[in-house]
Amino acid sequence: MSGGMPPPTVVPVMAARFLRGVRGAVDGGMDPLAAVELASGDLPKSLRDSIERMARRLRGDYHEDEWGFDEEFAEAAYPFFELLYDVWWRVEATGVENVPSHGRGMLVSNHAGALFPFDASMITGAIMKRHPLPRWPRFMVLDWAFELPFISSFMRKVGGVPASPYNATRILDHDGLMMVFPEGVKGTGKPFAERYRLQRFGRGGFVEIALRTGSPIIPIAVVGSEEIYPNIADAGPIARAIGAPFVPITPTFPWLGPLGLIPLPSKWRIEFCDPIDVSGLGPEAADDRRIVFELSEQVREVIQGKLYENLVKRGSAFV
Amino acid sequence: MAGGRRILIAGIGSHWGTELALRLEREPGVESVVGIDSSPPLVDLDRTEFLDADIRSPVMARLVPSTGADTLVHAGILWYPEEGKPARALHDINVIGTLQLLAACERSPSIERVVVRGSAAIYGCEPAGPSFFTEEMARSFPLRTRFQRDIGELEGYFENFARRHPHLTCCMLRYQPEIGPGLKLPLSRYLALPAVPTQLGFDPRLQLIHADDATGALLKATLDPVRGAVNVAPSGSISLSRALRTIGRTQVAIPHPLFAPALARLGSSLGAGPLYGDAIRLLRFGRGVDNTRMRDELGYEPRFDATGAIRDFGRASKGLRLAPAPGLGSILDRLAGTPR
Repeated sequence: MSGGMPPPTVVPVMAARFLRGVRGAVDGGMDPLAAVELASGDLPKSLRDSIERMARRLRGDYHEDEWGFDEEFAEAAYPFFELLYDVWWRVEATGVENVPSHGRGMLVSNHAGALFPFDASMITGAIMKRHPLPRWPRFMVLDWAFELPFISSFMRKVGGVPASPYNATRILDHDGLMMVFPEGVKGTGKPFAERYRLQRFGRGGFVEIALRTGSPIIPIAVVGSEEIYPNIADAGPIARAIGAPFVPITPTFPWLGPLGLIPLPSKWRIEFCDPIDVSGLGPEAADDRRIVFELSEQVREVIQGKLYENLVKRGSAFV
Repeated sequence: MAGGRRILIAGIGSHWGTELALRLEREPGVESVVGIDSSPPLVDLDRTEFLDADIRSPVMARLVPSTGADTLVHAGILWYPEEGKPARALHDINVIGTLQLLAACERSPSIERVVVRGSAAIYGCEPAGPSFFTEEMARSFPLRTRFQRDIGELEGYFENFARRHPHLTCCMLRYQPEIGPGLKLPLSRYLALPAVPTQLGFDPRLQLIHADDATGALLKATLDPVRGAVNVAPSGSISLSRALRTIGRTQVAIPHPLFAPALARLGSSLGAGPLYGDAIRLLRFGRGVDNTRMRDELGYEPRFDATGAIRDFGRASKGLRLAPAPGLGSILDRLAGTPR
């Protein structure tokens, strides 16, 4: 970046030449966007690149996949999450090579963070930073989020999909990485006193999907996510009034207003456990309640065990 | 040609009825094409015989058998009011009309295939739903708008009819909204506005089927229908924001409770026409359907994917691009210090 930057005295001249170029092209009948692009030819490369990139996006000339995932957007949002990852939460990730570098895979994690669960973004961060062949995982998002403005479109652009079993099946059938949180709202909405105690894993729907699609299950234990918004009470009536699954009250929210939305800087550890290969059981096993429950329980125990292990390894929650 | 297919198109006065007749006239295996509607075809057709009758009337029970058709295509289902077909008549046209046609089919021994041009609105526009509805997922959510309920009702009748007449091939086509250069549909006119109002904070995934593919799939289903429902949609999806950028439209975000009234205001002054309940939800939550059955079983491979359909639409409507803001030139002049 610094290499291409001209000395400060040249900048006004350059800017003037650029604007004159834009003016000329607009007068020549070009639309403003094309004019800006044309005139950017004399600018330093880094600036020219970002102008080209911006123009390309404004023309709609970028890729979105069929789910609405927009890789460029995700990359643009990434530095913010990277900052949280490195500086705010000082995440230590282990076993990330257990995530398959190609082909399907189901990532199963505990779920916490009452106001805004950051665990999906931090798991994604761990894969993107530490994996030898990183790729963007998709994650299931509580249905309610897709009814909300801004949140719905943001979630979709960074890889969130509505929590429907059909969506998970389709992503795995297309050899993607699917991140699921079987605890769902029960995990994020639980009181602080119950932190790191895994809630019920639903009816084991995630195991059925893994069996039907023959996807390996990679259990993930996330430590640190419980302390970011300590949920000391649930404002039930407010939640019912706005249709939210729950409205947490934390030591800072809603007392400090928007400041209360800042997560506490806890220390995080993310452990990716050994994959559980279920392909040998065949897709018919998905209809066998006993196998489904046993597998679901096995995954739950692995994650619970690793949670306790990593809690001990982490030591103090904040320093 | 003797021994060829004899095809009856109900609703030939609609855009899709006329388009289908035009294509059928060029098909070598088609012996005759007959069209029924209360309004004539949109263009002059050479080989097509036009019967002026309302599909809602009991006359159908005599007319349909008299044509000796082997295939009935119902292309007369309306998504929104048209000239001479006001909003309060839609339920009658869509539900009662379909019922009359099905009853007429029961009295026509020559009929072998029935194809209905229905709508993917039966899946709804659901924020929490599957991102790609397959054909079995109809009615997994409550039918919220009047059009959805009409579609639900007529699909119900059609399924019953198919069950009672197993010797007939009954095919229900579930169309995603169409788009195409020159189409005068509300959604096309909406996208052709120079500044397009959108719902603040929402960026729905859309699958708009290109008009060529919409007709192509209808032709394929007419000649070679499959049993049951088939989604007619392009592959992939495109977000509304990218669609608008692709066709060079300016987006004007409006808080969603104000969207419908604002659009009605703007629409009447710019000629975009109002959007109906389904479209309002579509433009908030979007809808995707799975088109595997159309491609693999019906055997129709769409020419345009979701992005391609929008691009083609954009190419044709370039003329409507918003002109550069009038003050831009002089502002640039002042900034750049160009002597005039």
